[in-house]
Amino acid sequence: MLHFIGKIIGNFFYRPKKCNCPSCSKLTKSVAGISLLATGLLFSQDCNLSLKGKVIDLHDNTPLEGALISIVGMNENVLSNASGEFLIRNQCKGKLNLKISHVSCEDYLTEFNLKKSSSKNFFMEHHIESLEEIIVSENKLKDLSTTANSYSLSQLEKDRFSSGNLATALGSISGVSNLSTGNSLAKPVIHGMYGSRLGIVYDGVVLENQQWGLDHAPNVDLNAFNNIRLIKGAGLLKYTGDTPGGVIVLESSTPKISDSLYGKTIINGMSNGRGLNIISSWTKSFESGIYFKAQGTIKNNGDYSTPNYILSNTGNNEKNVNLTIGRNKILKKLKINFSYFSQEIGILRSSHIGNVSDLLRAIQSNKPFVINPFSYEINFPKQFNRHYTSSIEYSARNSSNGKWVVKYNWQKNNRKEYDIRIGSNKYNPAIDLSLNTHNLVSNYEWTKPNVSYDFGLFSQFQDNYSNPDTGIKRLIPDYVKVRLGTFFTASYSINNLTDFNFGFRFEHINNLVQKFYSNSRWNDENYEKDLGPYVIKEILSQKLVKRRIIFNNPSINFGVKSGIIPSHEVSLNFFYTQRAPDIAEMFSDGLHHAIASIEYGDPFLKSEIINKFVLNFEKKEGNFQYNLNPYFTTGKNYIVIEPVGVEQSIRGAFPVWEFRSISSSLKGFDIDLSYKFNKNITYKNNTSWIEGVDKNTKTPMINIPPLTTNNQIQFSISKWKYFFGSITSKYVFNQNQFPDNNFYITIIENGSKVEKLVDISTPPNGYHDLGIDLNWGPYKLFSNKISFSLTFDNILNANYRNYLNRMRFYNDELGRNIMIQIKINH
Amino acid sequence: MLKNLFKHSILIISVFLLAISCDKGEPAVVHEHEVFTRVVLEVKKDGEANYKKYTFEVEGHDEHGDHDDDHDDHGDEDHDDDHGDEHTEVELDTNSTYHVSIFFYNDSDPDNIEDITLEIIEEADVHQVFYEMTEIPGFSIAAASDDTKDSNGNPLFLKTKWTTTSETSGDVVAYLIHEATSKTGSTRADFGGATDVQIEFEVHVE
Repeated sequence: MLHFIGKIIGNFFYRPKKCNCPSCSKLTKSVAGISLLATGLLFSQDCNLSLKGKVIDLHDNTPLEGALISIVGMNENVLSNASGEFLIRNQCKGKLNLKISHVSCEDYLTEFNLKKSSSKNFFMEHHIESLEEIIVSENKLKDLSTTANSYSLSQLEKDRFSSGNLATALGSISGVSNLSTGNSLAKPVIHGMYGSRLGIVYDGVVLENQQWGLDHAPNVDLNAFNNIRLIKGAGLLKYTGDTPGGVIVLESSTPKISDSLYGKTIINGMSNGRGLNIISSWTKSFESGIYFKAQGTIKNNGDYSTPNYILSNTGNNEKNVNLTIGRNKILKKLKINFSYFSQEIGILRSSHIGNVSDLLRAIQSNKPFVINPFSYEINFPKQFNRHYTSSIEYSARNSSNGKWVVKYNWQKNNRKEYDIRIGSNKYNPAIDLSLNTHNLVSNYEWTKPNVSYDFGLFSQFQDNYSNPDTGIKRLIPDYVKVRLGTFFTASYSINNLTDFNFGFRFEHINNLVQKFYSNSRWNDENYEKDLGPYVIKEILSQKLVKRRIIFNNPSINFGVKSGIIPSHEVSLNFFYTQRAPDIAEMFSDGLHHAIASIEYGDPFLKSEIINKFVLNFEKKEGNFQYNLNPYFTTGKNYIVIEPVGVEQSIRGAFPVWEFRSISSSLKGFDIDLSYKFNKNITYKNNTSWIEGVDKNTKTPMINIPPLTTNNQIQFSISKWKYFFGSITSKYVFNQNQFPDNNFYITIIENGSKVEKLVDISTPPNGYHDLGIDLNWGPYKLFSNKISFSLTFDNILNANYRNYLNRMRFYNDELGRNIMIQIKINH
Repeated sequence: MLKNLFKHSILIISVFLLAISCDKGEPAVVHEHEVFTRVVLEVKKDGEANYKKYTFEVEGHDEHGDHDDDHDDHGDEDHDDDHGDEHTEVELDTNSTYHVSIFFYNDSDPDNIEDITLEIIEEADVHQVFYEMTEIPGFSIAAASDDTKDSNGNPLFLKTKWTTTSETSGDVVAYLIHEATSKTGSTRADFGGATDVQIEFEVHVE
């Protein structure tokens, strides 16, 4: 395979001769290596061979008349006839170097090895106009799906959230919320689903990092990408089939084939956390199609603060680099990418607790126990996460509007969590996981005016290593996962009015897991009966179990979208997904310090089966626009984690949470409205409501986002040409649908023993958050353009807590933040 | 062409799978060094040579507090095991003073029992023992004169002096607190920090 890749690279980075045809200034030609040996020098005996050729326009398959075919180094020229055909006679055996010229096109040089009289078709890239169309359509963003709505962040929104993370940036989209642990760790939630029920696809490959924990944020820098879009549902079977929540697609754009150098630099300064970010990206492209891209992000924040106190040890820093080298040709593309993401995040000092008595005290106290002066220092507890990606992608188009893509991607993720520990392990991480993933994907797309198909094969190899040097029992075990599969998607369009979309994906997942069970857990759960045969070793009151677990999961989607009345569209999409349980859901085993709970997986879980219907009514034109989006999801074997009791030990009491499967139902709606009053004022609203129920017990599901409504007024002032702004009001209602996971513990209070309720269930009150964005620019600055913006978050300095933030037991949300952003387009 | 592409794809994928389908090595067992699996109270009456030993144990992960493993395999101790909700009773005489030492062990590897008390003494500044009591008239716990002190001169309460007067009884909770926000206080809340150990016993003064 290396040889194969080497060959591609070799061919690709060979720089061609500069085109000297006057009429094709923009386009350069891809020409394979040309032998310098003139054919005349070859001492061949047989010189009666002929070459019959046909010159064809690559793009519409029409024959090209009047093309001049000459043999380099010999005075031999022929012209193609009306059928594009030509004949060269009396040639000797050996290599022929042909030059094919056609009016309004550049010369095409090719080598032909003549062994016997032969015929061959020669494809020329002819129509410049149509080539430009291809270039334009390649550079234009194709819809993620023809029937399922895709939502995207505008360039401005993306820049506005450049200081934040992917989840906060997506949080401005209806139906998307954040599940967070503190301020810097957040994972997106779409339609009530998160973690492995969401796919994050970056440059065509699913991001593989540890995503099973509530405190695991996606290890990806949104600033490394040009476009951020999502589909609410498993609508992209090309990438993932097990993500019923949705798919988030991060893409970087391909530079144009031209000689240019451009870039963008963003500098953010934030008052809350006294943070500074510098984000810069540069692209250098050449006429030959070769390009280089480099992007870097540096973020540094100190302790954040709520309106009333500093959140000690909540600083974070990030250092990310993304490098791409590639070559674009009209018909072929090669891209090699390397990226490095590293993030160090402080976890609120006071949230490291010993047992539930500590948790009770934290809940009873209205502020954290430890409040130190502001600092940039990040102490324990903290997380240090790194993600490396190397990928190589090659794509080739053929004459029948097909495109073949092959992609190899290697991701290495290392996650270290540091706790407050004692003795010689003080500076060792408590969790140290290395996840290595290799992906190989190959697909072929056909595009015809009304139909398009995409068929592909994929394979994945994943190795998780849990470093035993932590001196703490593995929270998740070592495993090897192999994933193989295929997908097929098709879309049809009737009269450009009605679109149909169909997709199928099949995945075979083979997990080989090696896990240590403590004897006490083994006995309590009666594992001997089912897992006994898999024990390969017994040591230190633990049993090592080696087990292969196989899942075969199909996923299907079907969608239809129709423009019933002009400017109105209605679509219905159905997604059937099967998701294999996460390794964490099957094998978690350990203590979570932030909520003092012990979590156990269930090794016998089955694949989750989810049916999701999404309906969309949309009006995209006119002053009043809307998008109404109700949805309904049912889940069989839907995996949740629930408390099952309290464990008493000499360390105190700990609630025990275990994964199990339920029958679930999730339903809700998202509404997006906008009304343009005049050219200066536009009103926007998005509102999301969702309800999740465990159908067996008829109890609400945990961590379901409460009803949320965002109202925004965007305004500009006619006199100030370079100004516009917006005021955003976010109202989050009180979540009154929640499961009761509370429990009682006994403590000593005022000299006697009392029972106390540990309320970990009741969501905090609703809240209102007001923000203002002011933007100026772009102004000319030498050859650059410069823009400024001033952003106020929580301008009223409101005090509130957020149900979807696990730190709600310890602290309020952030107070006012003022951000100054300077943006330079080079 | 199409056929070729797929031939290529399948070829590449199979070579790739072949290259990576090697088995994974066996994971190493983790021996946890900082877990507290046993707490011992040594209670010695002033003027007497012998002491009474009370042991509190947890074996690995101790589910639901209701298991009944026989764990009395540590030899020479005369002790009451504290298994979950079972209560240990510390018997004391009236009008006496006692010298009480608390020790912390990790005995998860029976061949290599670790005395974590030594680490606590080494890191005196970040550890604190606190005895919280229900109202027990005439009974008090104070730091002993030979107690370990941190760099600020605060006694750690590893060695304590217990004083009794009349007949009484009550509940005591002993905590080992990690990185306490305050090293002194009269309730557990005053200390802040994270609880590493929390054991409960009854005191009977008769």
